[in-house]
Amino acid sequence: MALKSGLLMDETALIRAAQDGDHAAFEQLVRAYDQSVLRLAMNLLRSPEDAHDVYQEAFLRVFRNLHSFRFDCSFHTWLYRIVTNLCLDHMRKRKVRKEEPTVVSTTDGPMDRMDAVPEERVDGDPQRHLFSGQVRRRIKEVLGELTPRERMVFELRHYQGLRLRRIGEVLGTTEEAAKNCLFRATQKMRAALGDFI
Amino acid sequence: MKDCSSVREQFALLLYGELSFDDEERVESHLDVCGECRTALAREKAVHAAFDQIEITLSPSLLRECREDLRIRLMEEAAMPVPARAGWWEKFVDAITLRPTIGMLRPAGALTLLAIGFAAARMLPVMNVNGQFAALVPGAARVRYVEPASDGKIQIVLDETRQRVVSGKLDDPQFRALLLTAAKDPADPGLRAETIDILNTRAQLTDVRDVLIAGLHDQNAGVRAKALGALKPFAQQPEVRTAFVELLLSDSNQGLRTQAIDLLTKGANVDRQTIGTLQELMQRGEQQGYVRERCRRVLEAMNASAETF
Repeated sequence: MALKSGLLMDETALIRAAQDGDHAAFEQLVRAYDQSVLRLAMNLLRSPEDAHDVYQEAFLRVFRNLHSFRFDCSFHTWLYRIVTNLCLDHMRKRKVRKEEPTVVSTTDGPMDRMDAVPEERVDGDPQRHLFSGQVRRRIKEVLGELTPRERMVFELRHYQGLRLRRIGEVLGTTEEAAKNCLFRATQKMRAALGDFI
Repeated sequence: MKDCSSVREQFALLLYGELSFDDEERVESHLDVCGECRTALAREKAVHAAFDQIEITLSPSLLRECREDLRIRLMEEAAMPVPARAGWWEKFVDAITLRPTIGMLRPAGALTLLAIGFAAARMLPVMNVNGQFAALVPGAARVRYVEPASDGKIQIVLDETRQRVVSGKLDDPQFRALLLTAAKDPADPGLRAETIDILNTRAQLTDVRDVLIAGLHDQNAGVRAKALGALKPFAQQPEVRTAFVELLLSDSNQGLRTQAIDLLTKGANVDRQTIGTLQELMQRGEQQGYVRERCRRVLEAMNASAETF
């Protein structure tokens, strides 16, 4: 089905068109947000398979429930609420399994998340390179030690750039609770990195 | 010193720009006069910057894969039958029977039945003295025939339909036979789709695979999509490939046909039957644009002509 009024529909119009069964409008909505959804899932779960699952499940839920979206909050908040719930479920299950692989398999082959740092950051200095690798490994360890909620708030604030107020809306809590969560997370990170920085 | 520690606690929020105007002012004023806190803030900034080192870069191929899979799943979803909206009576019957979707209503249903039973016992005359009808629920039994008995009583023969719950494992052939029957139930496409979903972990078994292959010809596109998904791991087996080819040639659903092309052309070597099928589709002027484009691309990649000779 073709879009009713070209590519310049605003988000509200897109959502209404998608609610009326316009598949092209739904696809455009997906395209507007899917990279940040996948990045969030990948950053949190560090597994392309899990991130892929969250991506599929999140957008399928949006597709199934879009008719009940009543514009009480922004679409972004609604979508992120779905995605963060799915990610939290994965993280809680993983917490039980104590599974935090350093090397993750990607469709481009095995990849160590810690090696995703551009080389220029270390200025080609072998000692600095080694040190930088140690810092990355330590950060990864500490991230694994945060509670799923602390991890989520940290991810949303630091990497996704969401304001605490929005994070509170997404996670169904208050801005103050999100602030406390971020505070605890950064305190733990700072304490763990004390020897390195 | 107390002031220093309370100010340093605010550094993370300061760097995220999440302090209130007053708190930020208080921190800035303190930093103006405290060199140690300025050093501590510099360290906090270094920690902050270190976090950026582990942000993962999205792989374009993963994004592509996600988008493609979502497209197919949305087509499957759109092809699924929309369940009819149940009325209050159906909901009530569901609540007191064993349908799992509204299991939360079951206790309410049970209580309602209890209340009806209690009221009926209080209000209605006694129907029989032996209590033989106590278990009867209207609708659950049908009178087959009646005949007078020699002692002056009347004998009624009832046909009763009762639900029964059985549980078992897929590896049990008798239990599996029930599921295989359900997968072919002509009256309920939802039941067929759900059953195929359950059976797909045993697609290596011949009886299951036969049902899945039959599912590719189901009149409901959602069921066909489930069957196609379940047969994916067996795409190299001749009888499965033949079924995929038949689907590709005769199905009306573009998404399913595209998926069939993907499965048939997966891997380095594409067999002659598949190439011939794709050529046939091109030659007969395939109407579905996406299918036509996929055929053309595969044939180009195989250096095959778009026409048969």
